[in-house]
Amino acid sequence: MKRLHFLTVTRRVFLDLRNDRRSLALIIIAPIFVMCVFGLAFGGEVKNVKVVVVDLDRGATATPGGGTLSLSEKIVSNLDTEILNVEYTGDRDTALARVENGDAYAAIIFPEDFTASALEQVKGTAGSPASIELLLDKSNINVANTITRTINDALLATMDQAGVQPPVMVDTVAVFGENAKFMDFFVPGIMAFAVYMITTLLTLVTFVGERTSGTLQRMLATTLNERDIVMGYATAFSIIGIGQAVLLLLVGILVFDITVIGNVMLAFLVIALLAIVSQALGILLSSTAKREAQAIQVLPFVVLPAFLLAGIFWPIEAIPAWLRPLSYIVPPTYAVDASRAVMLKGWGIEKIWIDIAALVAMAAFFLTLAVLSLRVRKE
Amino acid sequence: MNKNDTDYMVETRGLVKRYGKFTAVDHLDLRVKKGEIYGLLGPNGAGKTTTIKMLCGLLKVSGGEAHVNGRQVPDRRIAAEIGYMPQEIALYLGLSVHQNIAFFGNIFGLSRREIDEREKALLEFIDLAEWRGEMVANLSGGMKHRVSLVCSLVHTPPLLLLDEPTVGVDPELRVSFWDYFNDIKSQGRTILITTHYMDEASRCDRIGFMRSGKLIAEGTPDELLTLTGTQDLEDAFMRFSEQTVREGQL
Repeated sequence: MKRLHFLTVTRRVFLDLRNDRRSLALIIIAPIFVMCVFGLAFGGEVKNVKVVVVDLDRGATATPGGGTLSLSEKIVSNLDTEILNVEYTGDRDTALARVENGDAYAAIIFPEDFTASALEQVKGTAGSPASIELLLDKSNINVANTITRTINDALLATMDQAGVQPPVMVDTVAVFGENAKFMDFFVPGIMAFAVYMITTLLTLVTFVGERTSGTLQRMLATTLNERDIVMGYATAFSIIGIGQAVLLLLVGILVFDITVIGNVMLAFLVIALLAIVSQALGILLSSTAKREAQAIQVLPFVVLPAFLLAGIFWPIEAIPAWLRPLSYIVPPTYAVDASRAVMLKGWGIEKIWIDIAALVAMAAFFLTLAVLSLRVRKE
Repeated sequence: MNKNDTDYMVETRGLVKRYGKFTAVDHLDLRVKKGEIYGLLGPNGAGKTTTIKMLCGLLKVSGGEAHVNGRQVPDRRIAAEIGYMPQEIALYLGLSVHQNIAFFGNIFGLSRREIDEREKALLEFIDLAEWRGEMVANLSGGMKHRVSLVCSLVHTPPLLLLDEPTVGVDPELRVSFWDYFNDIKSQGRTILITTHYMDEASRCDRIGFMRSGKLIAEGTPDELLTLTGTQDLEDAFMRFSEQTVREGQL
């Protein structure tokens, strides 16, 4: 009975949430909202990008007595028109002006001798290589990369149709994530981020309330000790964290059609561990605030590093090497990595144990500090 | 000292609480007899709340010792024998009256039946039976104070530590509170109450005047008035206070 004393606190946290519709909404709706906003904003591929084509190519005769072939026309016809919205214009200057005016993201210019040069290259006769001039607005790197990739794809498709094989080929075999979409990659990350953010925020605000209202002192004057209180909160928020993860996964599957190939229970365990770390962090941070308004001030320092450094949107390898150590002290990093490995690669505990060990160590560390932060008040 | 082997529910010897160089409680010798209402009186900063918090185990003792019902503080077992009512309302505003009472009852390991029985009796006692299901946030300030008292009584502790329980309470309710306190006392329980309302002090069996962390005088209200030759306890406090300053004890 004594060992489960903390469950009294757990039960009270749930009662409080049940009565407080606003907090309940925060727990249920906020993660879904976050996921939908980011999912819709980032999940969609770049589409309908306006590019201007200047086709000066006069074409050439591929075989003696054959008709005139225009490779530029074939390449343009192979451009993915869902991605690129192709318009034509007559000369380079006009095309450049349209890019400079922001009217188009790129101008694709085929020179007069484009087909002729290409054919000469294929035949192995002398001549300069055929080149396409691309005037590109690189201010939006995402769009710029998409344009370049789409042109390259069209180029390869055209060569394939013409029976010309490039001298070197990369044969890609998807070991993991065959047909994976951005959302498949994104959902595990946002699941961890939402649980981390909401749990920390909720515990922080709730605990500042416990301190300022006198209920914390009142609890500590009973047979409950600091450990019971922290454990009670940890249990409540780990259950809430699992609930949020289930909810987010359902939305991911039903709305964003994500694919989960691993054991979701393992992913839930990871999220529960993250929730425990987050609530302990919330309790710890609450000791720095005298009022709820002060508590909110520390939130950017909690949320932003996780948002940017935990590998939610881009891999940690894309973060500058000197900044990377910070990623490894941000708790969601391990949860994002582990849940992504479980859900996308189907990895088991034998492969994600380092992440789990890191989360367990962080949980132990922050729980201890949270208990100590309550004990310090007695000094 | 063995438990129950004493006439005192609270006994402190040379109790000290220091915060750095500041001494909040300065060698306090306090004895509260079982079954009495003992009032700790003094201005803000006199050390009353600090003393109560040390007895509850909410603050560490810097020096001396304190015993509650024969057990030396700190001892987790003492918590079950104390009903602590802090200055603040210290209730969960988002929970109903019942949920608050049940929470504190659960902490002390009471069964649901025990909680229901005691809650019924206590809510009738403070005249809030029909508010059982109401959210505490929707109650008036006076009602919240009464619920707070019930939460400190639900486990029927032999000692009540009431820290300025009537601050912010209207005069009518303050009278009711003292009726409750006398009822609790009549059940054989002990109350240690802090207040800076001198009119309330006259309702205590014994009073201890505190100033600058020291107990400067102690006795029944009549004894203190007789000793100082004054008509009210406020004047009596001032006399003791001046005398202490003159004697250089502060």
